[in-house]
Amino acid sequence: MKALVYERSIPKFAAARVASALGGAGSRVGPLHLTDVDEPALPGPGWHRVRPRLAGICGSDLATVDAKSSRWFEGVVSFPFVPGHEVVGDLDDGTRVVLEPVLACAARGIDPPCDACAAGDNGNCERISFGCLEPGLQTGYCADTGGGWSHALVAHDSQLHTVPDAMSDEAAVMVEPAACATHAVQSSAIPEGAVVAVLGAGTLGLCSIAALRRLALPGTVIAGAKHDVQRRLAADLGADVVVAPGEMARAVRRQTRSLSVDGRLTGGADVVVDCVGSADSLEQALAVVRPKGTIVLVGMPGSVRVDLTPLWQREIRLVGSYAYRHTTFATAFELVAESRLERLVSALYPLERWREALDHAAASGRRGAVKIAFDLRSTKKRSAKP
Amino acid sequence: MRLRPRARFPLGAPTWPTGVPRPPVVRDTGVNYDTAWARKYPARLARALWLDGVTRPLIKGLAAPDIDGLDRLDALPAPVIFAANHSSHVDTPLVLTSLPERFRHRTAVAAGADYFFDKRWKGGLWALSINAIPIERTRVSPQSTKLAVSLIQDGWSLVIFPEGGRSPDGWGQSHRAGAAYLAVRTGAPVVPVHLHGTRRILKKGGKGVRPSHTEVTFGRPLRAAEGESAADLAVRIERSIAVLADERSEGFWDARRNAAAGATPALTGPGPTGWRRAWALEENRRRQGTSKPWPPRSAARD
Amino acid sequence: MPRPGFVLDVDRSTPPTLFWHGEQFRTERLPTGSRIIYPPEPLAALEDIDGAIRHALLNPLGDSQPLPSLLTSGMKLTICFDDISLPLPPMQRPDIRQRVIEAVLDMAADAGVDDVVLIAALALHRRMTEPELRHALGDRVYDSFAPSGRLTQLDAEDPEQMLHLGTTDQGEDVEISKRAATSDLIVYVNINLVAMDGGHKSVATGLASYRSLKHHHNVRTLQHSRSLMDQKRSELHTSNWRMGRHIAAQGIKIFQIETTMNTNTFPDQFSFLMKREWEWTARDRMSYMAVSRSLDRTPSRLRTTIFQGIKSPHQMTSVQAGEVEAVHEVTTANVHRQQLVEVEGQTDILTMGLPYICPYNVNSVMNPILVACLGLGYFFNLYRNKPLVREGGVLIMHHPTPRAFHPVHHPSYIDFFDQVLAQTTDPLEIEAKFETSFATDPWYIHLYRTSHAYHGVHPFYMWYWCAHALQHLGMVIIVGGDPKSVRRLGFKPASTLSDALEMASDVVGPSPTLTHLHAPPLLIADVK
Repeated sequence: MKALVYERSIPKFAAARVASALGGAGSRVGPLHLTDVDEPALPGPGWHRVRPRLAGICGSDLATVDAKSSRWFEGVVSFPFVPGHEVVGDLDDGTRVVLEPVLACAARGIDPPCDACAAGDNGNCERISFGCLEPGLQTGYCADTGGGWSHALVAHDSQLHTVPDAMSDEAAVMVEPAACATHAVQSSAIPEGAVVAVLGAGTLGLCSIAALRRLALPGTVIAGAKHDVQRRLAADLGADVVVAPGEMARAVRRQTRSLSVDGRLTGGADVVVDCVGSADSLEQALAVVRPKGTIVLVGMPGSVRVDLTPLWQREIRLVGSYAYRHTTFATAFELVAESRLERLVSALYPLERWREALDHAAASGRRGAVKIAFDLRSTKKRSAKP
Repeated sequence: MRLRPRARFPLGAPTWPTGVPRPPVVRDTGVNYDTAWARKYPARLARALWLDGVTRPLIKGLAAPDIDGLDRLDALPAPVIFAANHSSHVDTPLVLTSLPERFRHRTAVAAGADYFFDKRWKGGLWALSINAIPIERTRVSPQSTKLAVSLIQDGWSLVIFPEGGRSPDGWGQSHRAGAAYLAVRTGAPVVPVHLHGTRRILKKGGKGVRPSHTEVTFGRPLRAAEGESAADLAVRIERSIAVLADERSEGFWDARRNAAAGATPALTGPGPTGWRRAWALEENRRRQGTSKPWPPRSAARD
Repeated sequence: MPRPGFVLDVDRSTPPTLFWHGEQFRTERLPTGSRIIYPPEPLAALEDIDGAIRHALLNPLGDSQPLPSLLTSGMKLTICFDDISLPLPPMQRPDIRQRVIEAVLDMAADAGVDDVVLIAALALHRRMTEPELRHALGDRVYDSFAPSGRLTQLDAEDPEQMLHLGTTDQGEDVEISKRAATSDLIVYVNINLVAMDGGHKSVATGLASYRSLKHHHNVRTLQHSRSLMDQKRSELHTSNWRMGRHIAAQGIKIFQIETTMNTNTFPDQFSFLMKREWEWTARDRMSYMAVSRSLDRTPSRLRTTIFQGIKSPHQMTSVQAGEVEAVHEVTTANVHRQQLVEVEGQTDILTMGLPYICPYNVNSVMNPILVACLGLGYFFNLYRNKPLVREGGVLIMHHPTPRAFHPVHHPSYIDFFDQVLAQTTDPLEIEAKFETSFATDPWYIHLYRTSHAYHGVHPFYMWYWCAHALQHLGMVIIVGGDPKSVRRLGFKPASTLSDALEMASDVVGPSPTLTHLHAPPLLIADVK
């Protein structure tokens, strides 16, 4: 079976880091390569073979490929693994499913489950390095399960959500990122009428805007978007004001009628959803959030340098938002359908053209794209949709 | 037809839209050239240095002037109108350098506006070097008259060539009334000046300069009599220059007698045109020895 | 004798035509058969300006008394003057305002008036800086009044400073400076650069608050001001005249002083700007080439500095004083004497080169909104009777239109450009959806009151100024404009004039008539 495999190789890891730091693509020299591997074995009862149809390329995947992701993940990843956690695929019986990639207690055969899993909060499972599987916080980072960037992976009952027949593959592959956004909005209790600023208008940013509009009652949603396609989509998905990233502070100031001292707002947005996760975006989030406001960190930050004085002085809450609850997916399916998020899927690549696919994903905004995915249907019969 | 493509606007001059009437051109060249600056102190100083330091030695070497009649100017106060016959570009510097010191640096030269002042740079050159002022040759223009009159009234003497241009063939041309008119207007005396031999150095249309001997003769000042017209005075001026010429060739006494008898040879020469005019010219009579062989060598080879 | 303005029919021997291009110049060859409207040559300035001012103050028009007999000791006198937006470009010292105010103060001193206050009639414009005030008023006036706080600038957002005088019969609020309204006499010193300035607009607009201004600074009024330069057909002026008469009816006495300027607009090194191209001498051509080539190679900041440093040699051609309406009638005639050009019939395409300056960017930056306002609000409105361009015609303007803003002077413009124009360019929609929130934004109000910022609502007024043109025109093209900014304004960018003409032919057909407005110097086209 062809698969993109990520191996533990210190020199390649280092090379990828250097290459990506120099502005080149880490994928060319890094530890990821296309190879023939055996299909993963079913670890036990309740496990199924999933043949991916589409597998998305996520921002965190790109960070991994470029070896930029945080060392934090070292204990919760097992090598070699096949990346790809945004997956829509077929079971052997032909059922179309979306994968919920988190490998929580149920999948790991741990019984009784941890407190988080018992409460249905799979994303915060405390046992992601234990049980019958190698360590791995999600499918796509675990050596035992395989991943979406291949022609087969294994998944547990608890990870599968059946796709309604009416939903296209392109829509279905958006369910996982939509679930992340849904979770971020649901867990941060947006006050009604609040001014919400969304930083970044990639997949997560756009999904968050859609989620904010449908799952909460914000007064004004201000989106910071760099590229034209992103701007159009942001406005279309429900942002009231769409500005260039550099204009964010001005837009928030005007919407909140705040004053400004030396370019710093005296008030600000009630909630800032940071879908970028860089030092710059965090700094901006801290600059535009009101005193006692909330910053929801949806984008994966990694190791960043940020001046936290405003956080302290203005009693700002900085909240992370990772993954989702098991029940989040039902909402996410609705969100994708209602907001027609399949339009975010901009290009599909066969696995053989993985380098192009990763380059395209890395430059998606600039090249007028949002979500890039691998199309793995080619070896089987193609679905009706082009 | 224009051979070189014209530079495009705005580098080149703009074309004039057909629909727009052209206003009469007021030019700052020709008669309109303003020479006032050339009579300011710095220009005068430069000119004086140039005239005494460069022009005078040059003229001495080139024209070896034999000057006669300066004594007739002794008691004469400035301003004065010097009226001379004209056959060469050398005439002007020759007259200027021959003038006594007290006139020399306060004298303007009436120069043809069309020839000496048609370009700004030429006007500037002549105004500076010989203190030329633009004068209309063919008619009495109010502008040039006004300028000349005001200069004379300011105490400037004026060198004027009443023939209105250099002689085309070596014989004198009939005089115009300009100098006489100025004398009548201002009451300034006219000193007739006869120049001889300058045509040998450089004639009209000639190429190259040949050093030669020249003669400058100043005549007795003439004043307009009570009620005398400019035309009458002009005739007197012309005649007295002719007497000066006669005096140079025949001697003072014979010339006086000829004058009294009305037999002074006219400077304008015989007949209207024709070969006899050229034949009678003194310079042609002397050329025999130096004439070139006939046919020309190059023609013979062909 | 200065020649009147005239309309040139372009033929094959017409040289290329000069176009302003912001802080640069271009020459364009206009198609044969086009027309070019040249402004009249500058009238001679008054020889004895101070004498003329004195004469005007002593021999007022209308039913007004001579100024000295209006001045009594113990009275409350307020002298108001036009702000930095006039004249354009700023004039060489001494400014007209200085000359007039000094003459008024001389008479006030003779009469023993102690309570004199000077107010810069800013309305919602930015406050002037000290050097700007010194330039307008002269050091003598500044040093005598500024230190004691008797030289003030209107703060229309200070409720303490404003006084509501009731409403006109049309229900328009009249709210003007309290100090002025409670004075025994207001002396208003105008510079009437164009026909729009002066009259009742001086006090009713110059000293008014947002509450009062919004009754005539709105889309409906401005769509019915045809044109702004023709007081009798301008709804804006009609409203101002109602307010002015209402103010007079409250017993407030105004002694109006109006002055007109000639169009001797540019100093010697730019003399080619005021000549017709075929009359350019070698010197004009050399200086044009030297100026335009070096400007093209100059960094834009330096260019702005160079141009904003230009002090114009224009000078006073008339001064009249007395009762507002009588004065304004004479003033308007004097403006027309300098600026009126008769033009036969409308055109399909109107072209114009936009200069580096408009009333709102003196010592500042010409931002895209001001570019639109200068072209569509001011130049388009330089007409009487009918617009120069027919309804549904095309306006082609030359300006680089960079996305550049002065952060101190135009803070609300930046937000207007990025957050309002990004959504819509329809004046009515903008007015309905955004005006109030900008006008009442505490931050803009703070900057207007304490810094040197135009009021938050000012960019809206700029856009309303364009409303008549936007409604009238079929297409607006900016040649050489930054495409992003131009599209944001809702216009079409073109890189050359021939591209623009090509684009215009989609709207006006294949063989349109074309007229070029050769301004500045300013003119008013009297379209028959």
